[in-house]
Amino acid sequence: MNEPPAQISLEQWHHRYTSLRAAGFHEAPYGGPLERHFTAGDYRLAQLRFDNSAAALRLWNFLLTETERLFAAQRAGKKIIGTMKDLGTVPIMAYALPDTIAFYPDGTWWIPCIMRQSTRDLAIADSLGIDESFCPVRAMLGAFETHQHFPPPDLLICSVGATCDDFSAIAQRLASRGLAILWWEIPARRTPEPTEEAIALPGGFLAGGRQVDFVQAELQRVSAALAKTVGHEVTDARLAEGITAANRIRDMLRQLRNLVFTAPRCPLPALEMLIAEMLAIHYCSDRQQTQEVLGELLAEVLRRIAVSAGTLPADAVRVFWVNPVADLQAMNLLEECGGRLCGTEFMFCHALDPIPTDVAPMEALARMALADPMIGPSADRAKRIMHDVRQFGAEAVLISRIPGASHCALEGSAIRAIIQRESNVPVVEIEVPPLNEGVRASLRTRLEALVETVRRRRTS
Amino acid sequence: MICAGIDGGSRALKVVIFDVAAQKILASAVRDQHVDHNGLAEETFGALLREAGLQRSDIKRVIATGYARNLIKAADTTMTEITCHAVGVRFLCPQAMTVIEIGGQDSKLLRLDPPPASTVRDFAMNDRCAAGTGRFLEVVAARLDTTLSELGSLAERAASPAAISSTCVVFAETEIIGLLASGVAREDIVAGVQNAIATRLTAMAGSHLESPILFTGGVALIPGMREALERALANPVTLSPQPQITGALGAAILAGRSIK
Repeated sequence: MNEPPAQISLEQWHHRYTSLRAAGFHEAPYGGPLERHFTAGDYRLAQLRFDNSAAALRLWNFLLTETERLFAAQRAGKKIIGTMKDLGTVPIMAYALPDTIAFYPDGTWWIPCIMRQSTRDLAIADSLGIDESFCPVRAMLGAFETHQHFPPPDLLICSVGATCDDFSAIAQRLASRGLAILWWEIPARRTPEPTEEAIALPGGFLAGGRQVDFVQAELQRVSAALAKTVGHEVTDARLAEGITAANRIRDMLRQLRNLVFTAPRCPLPALEMLIAEMLAIHYCSDRQQTQEVLGELLAEVLRRIAVSAGTLPADAVRVFWVNPVADLQAMNLLEECGGRLCGTEFMFCHALDPIPTDVAPMEALARMALADPMIGPSADRAKRIMHDVRQFGAEAVLISRIPGASHCALEGSAIRAIIQRESNVPVVEIEVPPLNEGVRASLRTRLEALVETVRRRRTS
Repeated sequence: MICAGIDGGSRALKVVIFDVAAQKILASAVRDQHVDHNGLAEETFGALLREAGLQRSDIKRVIATGYARNLIKAADTTMTEITCHAVGVRFLCPQAMTVIEIGGQDSKLLRLDPPPASTVRDFAMNDRCAAGTGRFLEVVAARLDTTLSELGSLAERAASPAAISSTCVVFAETEIIGLLASGVAREDIVAGVQNAIATRLTAMAGSHLESPILFTGGVALIPGMREALERALANPVTLSPQPQITGALGAAILAGRSIK
């Protein structure tokens, strides 16, 4: 059943799936051949190359069945919580409650990237005045209109304040369509004032005690709304259990990252690593399955490392990738050009850190929320990136940018300048637009040039 | 040992034949690009060989670079223009630390490792818009009913350079139409466009530019551009001796090194 690691096309997965089945491969309930998602409209899958392991198939099937899972949960009477922008905090509270699941409507930005590009999500967003000058998250406007990707949530929550301008505009447009949104405020993280208690945050940052208190109060308000919707209190005991479960997943992801980014031969491709890391914030609407999916990936990676097997040549250039991409082919392209992923900062690295367990659970969540890289100064992000670049031994840093995503439009340059000042590692910025094949050649040139740059520096 | 570099740029094709032992350019050619990139490369390379009195078999290795590099069948292998420009610049100007290259459809800024290394430390390139490229100047020349070669002399006569957007060629063209309608002199518009291109490069450069800065690429041939860059960067900028062939030269040098 175990074939040598390789990256294969959707068509090749058809044959691989047949042989796995013939060998008695055990599948999860959401399993099945990968091409069925293509048949259902996920046309961009045909342009990708996938890892050929059964564990990777399970990961993809898990990702691509979230819509079905959400509708099934609603039919089963579970409460559906839509949470926007907080990147990992509210789901922990929601999953602490019985018969409740949370999802991110902002995750709809994936839909044009991979799923059902034939749906009219972006066209609807255009018609609502949110055009392509905005972040691809605007796709969620269309999704809320069509109800094709997720059911109407029982409660819709959105963090505001230190969030991207265009995201705020999109969320406000949603509110103007009559959707009831529970807003909670996340302030921009600042250095503690001299008269203020300095609170340690996950990731090694500090926040002022007053900020932590404020966020905790805001989360209490969210907690009260959740309790009212679900009919159960978010008790400390339940929350502590939720934090333990979240930490288990985070721990698995940290193990996966450490193994994949430091192995002499890359045991898991960049694309699957991107998808796996995303599970940290939303669990694809099933926390238990997330653990199982990650468990299989970890086992596969360990098996490959034990036999020094990998999907890429051993001399692949070790690249640290900053910011997620809206065109998943970019992850494949890095590897086609001779690179490999060796560290990532996809804007939610705080969701990979352990949530503190030595303070009251709500305070722990407030600390975690304040550790969000998107609400702190660019210098904090750069500091963390530099730390991880050194830890994983990256030879280059690639900062990608999504057109219209205002949060990273200038931050990339700021991070680049800091890394250039503090290290000798080549840093290159690229712009990766969604749904745009026209820039593929120039993107390839940049990636090839980065790989050449590192290779020549190795031997100079 | 003789090697060759072919730079299939978006607007021009450049070929260099290089004597590796003597470290000397034997012949070079620049031709306007054609839809048939490979055909033009074959024809130009063949003509250059004849001009230099060489046979194809005399050329030990050929590296292609530039946007059309993968279409050039005469090449043994390819390298990106980033790498090739760095090597070409190090040959022509051994002390250079920063390279600004403005070509037909893209612009680049390369930070080099200290000499004698010819390696790139990192680089930046323009994204989708052609605002910082030679294409911008072509659009302007057409709009002002002049030629690329005359732009420089027009800019030199500017009394008060116009303020023009540096972010989008399409918007900039609209601005130019508006400026013409307002009676702004062509000279001032051209100087304004040169400043806009230089400003665009400055934004790309970030805050860590080391001198000496070398200016290369086809746009370096247009008078006034170097001065516009100097003003925008507040640093001296040196013109590359043979700005159009730097990439092809770097490719030829790399071809030689790959044999050694």
